[in-house]
Amino acid sequence: MQRRTLVRSFLFFAALSAGGLPRSASAASKAELIELLKGVDDRQRNQGDWRSNVYIEQKEKDKVAVVYDALVFRRSADQRFMILFTKPKASQGQGYLRVDQNLWFYDPAVGKWERRTERERIGGTNSRRSDFDESRLAEEYDPEDNGEEKLGVYTAQVMTLKGKPGLDLAFPVVKLWVDKATKNELKRQEFALSGRLLRTSYYPKWQKIYSESRKGDIWYPQEIRFYDEVEKQNSTLILIKSVDLKPLEANLFTKAWLESKAR
Amino acid sequence: MSSLLVDFRIAWLSLLEHRRRAFFLGAAVAAVTALLVLLNGLSAGIRVTLIDTATTLSTGHLNVGGFFKVTSGQAGPVVVDYEKVRETVVKAMPELDFTVERGRGWGKVVSDTTAIQAGIGGIDIQREGSFKSVLRIKSGNLDELSQPNTILLFEAQVKKLKVKVGDAITISAQTTRGVANTIDCRVVAVAEDVGLLSQWNVFVSNDSLRALYQLRPGTTGAIQIHLKPRFQKDLGPLAARLRSSLEKAGYRLMAPDPRPFWMKFETVTREDWTGQKLDVTSWEDELSFMMWTLSALNGISLVLMVILVAIVITGIMNTMWIAIRERTREIGTLRAIGMQRGSVVRMFLWESFLLGVFGAVAGAVVGAMTAGVLNSAHIHVPLSVQLFLMSDTLKLSVLPSALGGAILLISIVTGLAALYPALRAARLKPVDAMSHFG
Repeated sequence: MQRRTLVRSFLFFAALSAGGLPRSASAASKAELIELLKGVDDRQRNQGDWRSNVYIEQKEKDKVAVVYDALVFRRSADQRFMILFTKPKASQGQGYLRVDQNLWFYDPAVGKWERRTERERIGGTNSRRSDFDESRLAEEYDPEDNGEEKLGVYTAQVMTLKGKPGLDLAFPVVKLWVDKATKNELKRQEFALSGRLLRTSYYPKWQKIYSESRKGDIWYPQEIRFYDEVEKQNSTLILIKSVDLKPLEANLFTKAWLESKAR
Repeated sequence: MSSLLVDFRIAWLSLLEHRRRAFFLGAAVAAVTALLVLLNGLSAGIRVTLIDTATTLSTGHLNVGGFFKVTSGQAGPVVVDYEKVRETVVKAMPELDFTVERGRGWGKVVSDTTAIQAGIGGIDIQREGSFKSVLRIKSGNLDELSQPNTILLFEAQVKKLKVKVGDAITISAQTTRGVANTIDCRVVAVAEDVGLLSQWNVFVSNDSLRALYQLRPGTTGAIQIHLKPRFQKDLGPLAARLRSSLEKAGYRLMAPDPRPFWMKFETVTREDWTGQKLDVTSWEDELSFMMWTLSALNGISLVLMVILVAIVITGIMNTMWIAIRERTREIGTLRAIGMQRGSVVRMFLWESFLLGVFGAVAGAVVGAMTAGVLNSAHIHVPLSVQLFLMSDTLKLSVLPSALGGAILLISIVTGLAALYPALRAARLKPVDAMSHFG
């Protein structure tokens, strides 16, 4: 990471971690919040295929940091999703595949598929499947207004999102800070239903890319940082190193394809 | 008859005459009786708590469980089409009070910080009245267990998993076809610990358990049969009749095996059959791995009882020896004025028996009251003790029959303890006895 980027990231976190300035009195209606959420989702949706190269770094208390390289594949049309780990060697060939709302994990060492839930910690890190997938906040959550907050130079709309009933979600309650100017997510706090804070996420860098399928630019978070609020000294960094929006093979989202990558 | 009454009267007057000695001896007898009552109360308390807790949490008085094998090497603790099985059970058992269906499973319960292995019970909370009465809910609402993907945990598990009501946990297990599956559950209730059984049992709704094991709706782990109180003792013949009825109805049955279902996996997996086989067990079979605690406690109680009785016998005999020595001249006088040897024996026996009765009754009352005070104090016991007591507090169960038994035993033992000294007293010659000094 370049020095300038590091400084920018530091300033971003310093501003966001400080909790922002006092809220303004202006209140957004529920319809406005839903529109805002749709906007957040829409600017990230390319309505086509997605392939990205992802770097994941997991830091845990009293442990050596673990780093992974993975390929993430998505298809908007039928909400297909797949992760294939390429590094380190011990995790090479492991992967996650979502088929009909079911998330499957494959480990070539045992040659077995295991069904996992949305709470699954991807590769044992503090990231979840939804962190790598298309944003579907408006479909999955009902928003409640928490007013506006200043996060450093950003004016953020703050809202509490409550999971819609019957959906399998990694976090049932999310507090979300959205940059009012750009509609980029800035920060999240993710809670259990008990009200316990489980994770805080920061989205310091957003990048745009031209999508042929959408005939316009789409945005994606180039860097995401997760801070474990249960095991306080654990954190996860995700860097999306490259994105390719060209159409993927038709048979890519299959168990057979993922298994073949381990051979 | 009048001679008996005279002996009784002399014994009674003698007790009053030597009231100081009688008081101390009676107090000793009372203390021993009270200890005996408390010991019995503890043993009975554990047994009653064990049966109440176990027959609510993990087993009926009788159970129709079994295994379903997809292939000869893969067995699941499952009863398919349980409604039909239940109909056969209801027809075959007029002694039945009610039945409940329980899913059976074993898996990994994972929180955000750690994981535990636990037996997973599937439960239909709306149909389980006694379940609610046995458990004491510390937080949350047990009725929410009727919702899908909810879980009931116990206090010790909650501490270990570092979760509270509203938090999510993941349960991971292998389906009957050997596929690893997981479900997310929300903690809806936390119950107080109930001994060993709550250490490794968690409860989810039956539907959640079926989702975890990918089972069809008509499937359960076991039909737990709860019998009317008067039929709960002799379970052997009832189990045999139930087995016979199920066989007549066309079901294949496993050979009787007095072990809990989870100890049978290895045996069942080795056997060369597929499909469904039913298994009939009693609560004693399902808890056979814990029954040693009761046996051990009964053994300890017996040893302590023998020691207590020996103390009573020694004390009474010793006191009687002293009494006879002190009253040698009195015995000589009584013999000289015409009292027969038999009357002398009866007099001392009466004296001792009366002492025993009064002491034992007083001791039983003190013991029962102490038990009542201990129960109402809800004394918390350490975790290691909870495992055996099946409760987080000390519970003593003092039954009227046990009280009567203790009074009878101590009275008879006390009476008989005086037999030898009384015979020795009766053998004294009146002349020698009257001239005795010291």
